[in-house]
Amino acid sequence: MLVVLASRHDRSARYLVERWTAFGAGMITCEDLSVAGWRFCPSSPDASTAVVDGRCVPCKDIAGVLTRLPCIFPGELLHIRREDREYVAAEMGAFLMAWLSSLSCPVLNRPVGTCLSGLNWRPEQWALAASRVNIRVRTTKRRILLGSTAEPGGSEPNSIAVTVIGHQCFGQIDPHLGVQARRLAMAAGVDLLEVRFSGDEADFCFESANLWPDLSRVDLADAVLQYLQNDSRRSVRRR
Amino acid sequence: MILLWGVSGDRPLALVHQALQRHGAPVLFLDQSAFLETELELSFSPQVRGTLRVSGKWVELANITAAYIRPHDLRLLPEIRNAEPGGAVRTHAIRLEDALLCWTELTSALVVNPPSAMASNGSKPYQSALIRWFGIDVPETLITTDPNAALEFWEKHGSVVYKSVSGVRSIVSRLGSEHSSRLQNIANCPTQFQEYIAGRDFRLHIVGDEFFISEIISDADDYRYAIKTGCRLKIRPGSLPEDVVGRCRALVAFLGLRFSGVDLRRNQDGKWYCFEVNPSPGFSFYEEATGQPISDAVARLLINDR
Repeated sequence: MLVVLASRHDRSARYLVERWTAFGAGMITCEDLSVAGWRFCPSSPDASTAVVDGRCVPCKDIAGVLTRLPCIFPGELLHIRREDREYVAAEMGAFLMAWLSSLSCPVLNRPVGTCLSGLNWRPEQWALAASRVNIRVRTTKRRILLGSTAEPGGSEPNSIAVTVIGHQCFGQIDPHLGVQARRLAMAAGVDLLEVRFSGDEADFCFESANLWPDLSRVDLADAVLQYLQNDSRRSVRRR
Repeated sequence: MILLWGVSGDRPLALVHQALQRHGAPVLFLDQSAFLETELELSFSPQVRGTLRVSGKWVELANITAAYIRPHDLRLLPEIRNAEPGGAVRTHAIRLEDALLCWTELTSALVVNPPSAMASNGSKPYQSALIRWFGIDVPETLITTDPNAALEFWEKHGSVVYKSVSGVRSIVSRLGSEHSSRLQNIANCPTQFQEYIAGRDFRLHIVGDEFFISEIISDADDYRYAIKTGCRLKIRPGSLPEDVVGRCRALVAFLGLRFSGVDLRRNQDGKWYCFEVNPSPGFSFYEEATGQPISDAVARLLINDR
């Protein structure tokens, strides 16, 4: 089966689970972490069980996982007492970090550091990584002065998004931007990444990177499915 | 110049500050509580540059060659607790902390330790997997929401402790009959159980190329709380097999930690277990008990290892 780890409010995740019904897709939300049935033995992960859509399943039956959460948000734990939400969210997130890292099936993206779905860098860290793979970046500033407010963010109106899924790139792009986006994804060790560029054809600059692109588009959904399935087969052979 | 960032009452920070002063090193102490007197301007092009205003003076960040950072949870500072949610005071504190943390990740100065290197401590079972990967044993562990699974694990091992899964500090406690009726509650949240390893505790502090070993003699399940729970506690300099030290050093190097505290236990058969690698160790507890010059080693690391 395929599993999407996401917030219950994530429409992309719902769309993917419905689209992948034939592949036995299910969803893990934070509510599933409050259901008896999880058994995780780090020394023998194949003997572990998970709770997907409220049902207990053997982890060895999970063929691939798409992660759509950076962490567990206390505000989503409405079924937990208010005063316990922050602690429970930290515990659930720490548990998922270990569990996802232990899976031998493909996980898109694998957790890194404290983020459940890849390397969750700050914009400036993404920019530095981009410059290291020869993508042009603009100078940015942070001014933390008393009484000042954060500079407005958001993408430029004419920015171009490139979505990297494994070795494939999607978006209205010239091949050069696709290569750059893939290089950045590789540098960050992630296989799912949306990279935004701004400027014109002669002068494209890195603008931002996003680990949680909207996947409610047929071509992106199919590419993720293909990635999980192809990589599943490779993983089985590796085992 | 060496940056120290934390709160003024923090004992490890104070000991390192004193050691740096003994060595005559120039120090910039950034008191986290004084955030209303702190301003920061950073530019990323993409190399990070900037200036920091502390106590009315602007300091070029380029002059900072090393930093020892021990920021506390911002939300627990009295100045923040009493501030209006979403108001200017809180906003300034949050923006300042995030910008400083960003600088620690991007600067070429030595940072002890960058948050990204400390991240593995945020999930104890994740870190345990890394520890095991370096050939160091960890206690048999189960994380579960299933009360029956917890009972089976308890029966299998006879004696079991429970502790937090995350980096949130918790008191390690032995499971007893008084917990049986509460075991149903674990359905709400994955809970970590570990086989209890009877034996002697050791703390290994690794500072760059140096290391210090403390042996802890206590009958408490969690010796950090021995005094509070009326148990005995004695800490003295100790020794570890070379092989154990070597594996621990390789592990902390892999994690990117220049300073760490490794919690180990030797069981009654002489087998060694590792519980945790602390990336921001409260070493003063051990230094003051053993006289080991840990703060001096940290100061020398900050001065020499740029």
